[in-house]
Amino acid sequence: MLDQPQLPVAQRTNPERSFKEEVRSLRLGDGEVFRGEGILAVTKAILQSGVSYVGGYQGAPVSHLVDVLVESQDLLDELGVHLETCTNESSAAALLGASINYPMRGCVTWKSIVGTNVAADALSNLASPGVIGGALIVVGEDYGEGASVIQERTQAYALKSSVWLMDPRPSLPTIVRCTEKAFELSEATNTPVMMELRIRACHVTGEFVAKDNQAPAISRNRRLPNPAAHNYDRISHPPSTYVHEKVKVEVRQPAAERFIVEHGLNEFFPGERADLGIIVQGGITNVLVRGLDRLEVEGKVPTLVLNVTHPLVPDQIADFCKGKRAVLVVEEGAPDYLEQAIHVLLRKRDMDTRIYGKDVLPMAGEYTAEVVTDGLLKFFARAANDIDVSGPRERFEAARAGRAEAQKILGGPLPLRPPGFCVGCPERPVFSAIKLLEREVGKVHISSDIGCHSFATLAPFNLGNSILGFGMSLAAAGAVAPIMQKRTISVMGDGGFWHNGLLSGVASSMFNRGDRVLVIMQNGYTSATGAQFIPNTSGNRRDGETTSDIAATLKAMGVKWLRTIRTYNVATMLGSLREAMSSKEPGLKVIVADGECQLARQRRIRPQIAAQLKAGMRVVRTRFGVDDEVCTGDHSCIRLSGCPSLVVKPSPDPLRSDPVAHVNNGCVGCGLCGEVADAAVLCPSFYKAEIVQNATWWDRLKWRVRSKVIGALAC
Amino acid sequence: MKPITILIGALGGDGGGVLCDWIIAAAHGQGLGVQATQIPGVAQRTGATTYYLEVMPERGPREAVLALNPAMGEVDIALATELLEAGRMIFNGFVTPERTTLIASTHRVLSIGERAAMGDGSFDVGRLLRAVKERSKAQILFDMEQTAEESGGVINAVLLGALAGSGKLPIPDAAFEAAIREGGKAVDTNLAAFAFGRGHARGELEQAVREHRKRQAAAQGVEDLIARARSGFPAGSLDIVEEGIRRLVAYQDRGYATLYLDRLQGIDPAIVRDVARHLAVRMSFEDIIRVAQAKTSRERLERVRAEVRAKPHEPVEVTEHFKPGNEEIAALLPPWAARWLLARRPFHFSMHVRSTTVWGFARLRFLAGLRWWRPRSWRYVEEQAEIGRWLEQIRAAQALSVELAREIAETARLIKGYGDTYKRGLGNYRRISEEIIAPALAGRMPPRKAADAVANARVAALADPDGDSLNRTLAAIAA
Repeated sequence: MLDQPQLPVAQRTNPERSFKEEVRSLRLGDGEVFRGEGILAVTKAILQSGVSYVGGYQGAPVSHLVDVLVESQDLLDELGVHLETCTNESSAAALLGASINYPMRGCVTWKSIVGTNVAADALSNLASPGVIGGALIVVGEDYGEGASVIQERTQAYALKSSVWLMDPRPSLPTIVRCTEKAFELSEATNTPVMMELRIRACHVTGEFVAKDNQAPAISRNRRLPNPAAHNYDRISHPPSTYVHEKVKVEVRQPAAERFIVEHGLNEFFPGERADLGIIVQGGITNVLVRGLDRLEVEGKVPTLVLNVTHPLVPDQIADFCKGKRAVLVVEEGAPDYLEQAIHVLLRKRDMDTRIYGKDVLPMAGEYTAEVVTDGLLKFFARAANDIDVSGPRERFEAARAGRAEAQKILGGPLPLRPPGFCVGCPERPVFSAIKLLEREVGKVHISSDIGCHSFATLAPFNLGNSILGFGMSLAAAGAVAPIMQKRTISVMGDGGFWHNGLLSGVASSMFNRGDRVLVIMQNGYTSATGAQFIPNTSGNRRDGETTSDIAATLKAMGVKWLRTIRTYNVATMLGSLREAMSSKEPGLKVIVADGECQLARQRRIRPQIAAQLKAGMRVVRTRFGVDDEVCTGDHSCIRLSGCPSLVVKPSPDPLRSDPVAHVNNGCVGCGLCGEVADAAVLCPSFYKAEIVQNATWWDRLKWRVRSKVIGALAC
Repeated sequence: MKPITILIGALGGDGGGVLCDWIIAAAHGQGLGVQATQIPGVAQRTGATTYYLEVMPERGPREAVLALNPAMGEVDIALATELLEAGRMIFNGFVTPERTTLIASTHRVLSIGERAAMGDGSFDVGRLLRAVKERSKAQILFDMEQTAEESGGVINAVLLGALAGSGKLPIPDAAFEAAIREGGKAVDTNLAAFAFGRGHARGELEQAVREHRKRQAAAQGVEDLIARARSGFPAGSLDIVEEGIRRLVAYQDRGYATLYLDRLQGIDPAIVRDVARHLAVRMSFEDIIRVAQAKTSRERLERVRAEVRAKPHEPVEVTEHFKPGNEEIAALLPPWAARWLLARRPFHFSMHVRSTTVWGFARLRFLAGLRWWRPRSWRYVEEQAEIGRWLEQIRAAQALSVELAREIAETARLIKGYGDTYKRGLGNYRRISEEIIAPALAGRMPPRKAADAVANARVAALADPDGDSLNRTLAAIAA
């Protein structure tokens, strides 16, 4: 990599990533069967609902929604749907402002809870005046196993902003129906609707019968001659806001309750036992149903499935509870909003149905099969011990005992496998350099950020003192820098820079004359979410022109100390960091660490190289290796690099017991291991090998002569 | 009708998602109801990923609700692309002896924690295998990575083949193959990998021919020394002692190998194997000459070619990364000159030597040819003195307690690496020697306690690179 030409950031593209199959399925018409993942079903459903515009900010598990549409430009052009790839969730939420004044449908998406936090200001200002065209927000509820963000519930936002929240049962027909109904609900109640999908629901596979896509009545293809008439009621500004608040509770919420009942959004599963009941969030239904099945009581307990968790319909809940001794509320996460609300509404109606919930199920944490089974066993023991679940209980206990047995055999927790930097990642050398810097100047306060680079907080780098949100690392050092003898280092990705860091971090630091160091990882994409384009990448999807350059932006903002450095050069990076830390110059010091995301780069160059090889062109393949006879197995190189391709293998030397380092065939030849060995003065084990494919006659001649001479000289 | 439940544990980059897609497509092909979901992790290529599928055993009206979460004791088939991930599914209680067929690769991909350890930090494979055997109903285990390599394909296709070969799903081979063809990517290699995996699972592939030729190292010219070793040392130590002889003849000369045997004379038979191992490593310390020898050996270019998978007709250019400094140069000088140089300001310079060019190779070969000079070098003199002291301590200790002697021998493990790593290791070794071993041999500490103390200090020295643990341990011992 060091000696291979690198694309300037403005020309980085990622053409290999393709959703061809998915794009085709978006075109399915009436009666055809759609097959695919949950989040893609939502994408199809919004086109079936006749949206005029779509937007969003990427993040697992909902990135696909926008990614697929980006590649469906032809289809969007035909329908007249506008697609906005937003630079953060706030701009996505503001996009829905179009539906305040114009009767057109729109859908935006982001990852929650973090995205909803960012969007909150626009969301409140959207919810207050309300909408006349259906507005849907699809949030990826990143909760439980595999989640990458703080564990909080989106429900809180729905409650405080009076936005309706759907939590559909994870089956594709239900998800699709809820998506379509969400627009109707939004229009019937002048209220934006959120739909939350958990990770497993976004990725669940299934099928549904598709309908034709609808071209919207107002769209890019059918433009309006005039703007909406001025109507102060639609502006979230006093005194309108006082009126909005009353309308929310007096008009919109009752309308929503009626709509939910009339359209049967919540589902009722009948059961034999009239004295018992279960109320469950739609998204948790599958776990619950399988749990009841496990206890061999399927079909026994009537169940109310809340595909809409806000608002609750008091009459519907009361009717369900009527005549029941005990009802279990299955509600994942804290606080227990639903359970509290149900308690209150029963109390107000003087109903004495005993409510179970967080007393038999845990307050916090994902409701897995084991957790729900355990909760159901407790519920039946306390509320209905006439139902015999002793057999299943014994099996459940036996399974737990078996697990304990297995854990005894394994003798302790298994080594964790945290995510880390990819092979050849351009961000790794920056952290290697910081490690080396710390050898010289001692520990430094490092303010970390969201993005791939947050993996530096894990082994083997263990670098980073805090993470305060996306693009917040510089701002988070604001009050640390003034109390530190050494300067602080904030690390931020280019994704984070455009999302928030530019204003919250750089502008604020400049404004306050902050004396800090900022390292911006410029890899050209939001890589952690699947390599989406950002303003400094080549071309947003349409015209192929770069919109903004980070260094130019920083200069325009008045940053004086600015270096742009190829990341793979550890020694230069170390030198610049040293200079930034010790420079007499006050103010913000920014290092733009430039190196293209290796995943994206490999996707781009692999087919090119394959084509060159096929055409018989001379191609040099570079990779690195370790001489296992020279390596002594101290693994310093791994602690300073952590490359997944740099592994250990048993020492071939029968005299040594410690495993030696080894570069496996995942190596992409970035050269960092050699660079680190060089910069840290580690050891002479590393070699670089260049394999000449489709060699010319001159290559072959040189090689033959050299081989002869070397063969004669060798030990 | 209950679904067949399948749990897949994989590593990012193993192609677990594609494996999932193949199974779904094959089930669809048979008209079977199927549902899958995943916890794929982020876009990066490390970290564990899990996939969960439910497949209906027969065609027909499918169950209304399929689960999205695996449950303890309710997994029929567990697939793992790596042994620790199999262990993880067992650890979490999903794999059970009543129900689960476990199909897993036996190779290990060490996690970062295991790799970054100073010594051998890998999880005990014996425990994993025991858990696999005892905690699952049936097992199909083999090195799928190796199989993938042999077939030229990827591990996920091998695993799919093994799943097909297990016969646990009501899906014929042809449906899986069709799924691979439908996928459309690397079809031929994936089909080959699938066939290999299926062959393994059904016991149709001969699993015998591997790793036998390498162990026949030539013992030419040192037969007499080897004979001497055989008459003088316990049989259980001879593999090491003979390797030591071969090593040191190649490293220096016959005389040096003879010195090795002389030094081992009189070492307690209970610890002679350990001492012989460390002694050979210490005597073949890494100086520039040794590195040059290794880099210019005849087999080395062939090994590099094999490792980087160069085809027979492809030229390979190799660039070596060196960064010698004053210490490396001083190591080669006579002691008086070395002391002069080391008293000067330290320096380092980067050298990238292209060892596949005539000039580059000749320079390395010249350095390798300097071994006649080695006994006159400062490093040699220093190392021999250090080795002498170490052996004296061992001999003195074995009169008191063999355990203490063994622990002293083991401290040699601390001395390894190059540059700072070497200095740090040597520094730790010397501290242990002065602060624990010397007082113990002088009778100021009971031998049993001293043996424990040396062992604790050694482990502490390897625990972290900064030496914090060693400081704490030494302070605790002194207290």
